Amino acid sequence: MANKPKVAIYWLGACAGCDEAIVDLNEAILQVVETVEIVLWPLAMDFKYDRIEAMGDEEITLSILTGSVRNSDHEEMARLLRKKSKLVLAFGACACFGGTAGLANFKTREDIFNWVYRDAPTVVNPETKFPQTETRINGKILTLPEFYDHVYTLNQIIDVDFYLPGCPPPPDLIANAVNAVVSGDLPPKGSTLAPRSALCDTCSRNKKKPSRMEIRQIKRIHEVEADPDSCFLAQGIICLGPATRSGCGETCIKTNIPCRGCFGPPPGVVGAGPKYLSALTSLIKAETDEDIREIIDSIDDPAGYFYRFTEPTSILGRKMPGKQMEE
Amino acid sequence: MEKYNPKLVCFSCKFGWGYLTEEPALASKINSWIPVVCSGKIDTSHILKAFRAGADGVLILGCSEGHCHYQDGNVQTKKKVFLLQKVLETFGIEPQRVEIRFSLDPEGKSMPHLLNKMKENLIKLGPVKRL
Repeated sequence: MANKPKVAIYWLGACAGCDEAIVDLNEAILQVVETVEIVLWPLAMDFKYDRIEAMGDEEITLSILTGSVRNSDHEEMARLLRKKSKLVLAFGACACFGGTAGLANFKTREDIFNWVYRDAPTVVNPETKFPQTETRINGKILTLPEFYDHVYTLNQIIDVDFYLPGCPPPPDLIANAVNAVVSGDLPPKGSTLAPRSALCDTCSRNKKKPSRMEIRQIKRIHEVEADPDSCFLAQGIICLGPATRSGCGETCIKTNIPCRGCFGPPPGVVGAGPKYLSALTSLIKAETDEDIREIIDSIDDPAGYFYRFTEPTSILGRKMPGKQMEE
Repeated sequence: MEKYNPKLVCFSCKFGWGYLTEEPALASKINSWIPVVCSGKIDTSHILKAFRAGADGVLILGCSEGHCHYQDGNVQTKKKVFLLQKVLETFGIEPQRVEIRFSLDPEGKSMPHLLNKMKENLIKLGPVKRL
């Protein structure tokens, strides 16, 4: 018993969907529990943080961290688990690239606070009170974590050994990742534990892709009845398959929903957003400037489309706390 | 206060702009000039990296329509720029900070003038606010 490798599963700025994905291992999770000792998993079990603090450095074999880093509590826990763990796995799109939460970087902290605590129509806050990191009440001090001005990916805060993208990651890749750690059969540090090709390479709709694609009108998936077998882009529906890593199991594609890019870019691509932007515009077929602009203007929130999961790793959006990122 | 001098990056197609002149002579008049084999070769990420590195604006000079040596590289980049301008706005970068012009100027005589004109517009905008 004592020799079982210790595993911690922890959520930072996450929605718990990644934790659910681990639960979705179903029966396989029983085998996992047989082979490892779970020392921290707030979603499923009750543990105390001071028990983790009392552990020796690198005593935990693997920490699976989900979510982005948005406040001082996230940062503190990420640093603590890094110190206590031999390996850290950035689990899910938020930990890997910032995820949808990263889109908040398009706004400042001030914008967000003003909307959430003052301006949103459902807010009643007559004294315009904003959350404070310290509040004194009856001689006692109540504290809250500091809300940072930026959403960070996990590797912008701590050293990360492996990455498993997805929103959430699919069960087969989770099982592979855990088995690799348990058996010690690990790829080089920094690897993403997912296939290397782009989604289009494995997409079943690729066969019906026309040899020359031309987009004359952009359509949104809810506005049309998309053909369930044809390439989305050929139908004028924005699909991020060309700029997204495969391995997700294509659950979206199979339910007739275009790829949104939760697996992040294929290896070697820095800034999936601009690459996708170039790819998409090359398909746009229009003669005059007005026609081009008309098609482009019909794309609602292009930045949201192209950076849906990756804004904090993007060329313009990335930041490292305390230092300027080198390009 | 020091006068604000916007930093401008200029990409130009070698087939249409400044190919009859001595490159170093023209380069001395244009800071951050990057002649490329075709304006279609300019990747969206090149433009973003220019802003990341501190540029206040990017000027792209391509061949006139119908004169692209590679059929339609200039038009491909024009489409990229139109969409990129919308994306940049979300990042807090005004669309006027990326300009694309199509013409032919083998001696590159008009290039310093075009740059100065764009600089005047950038001075009105001031430095990039976010980033």
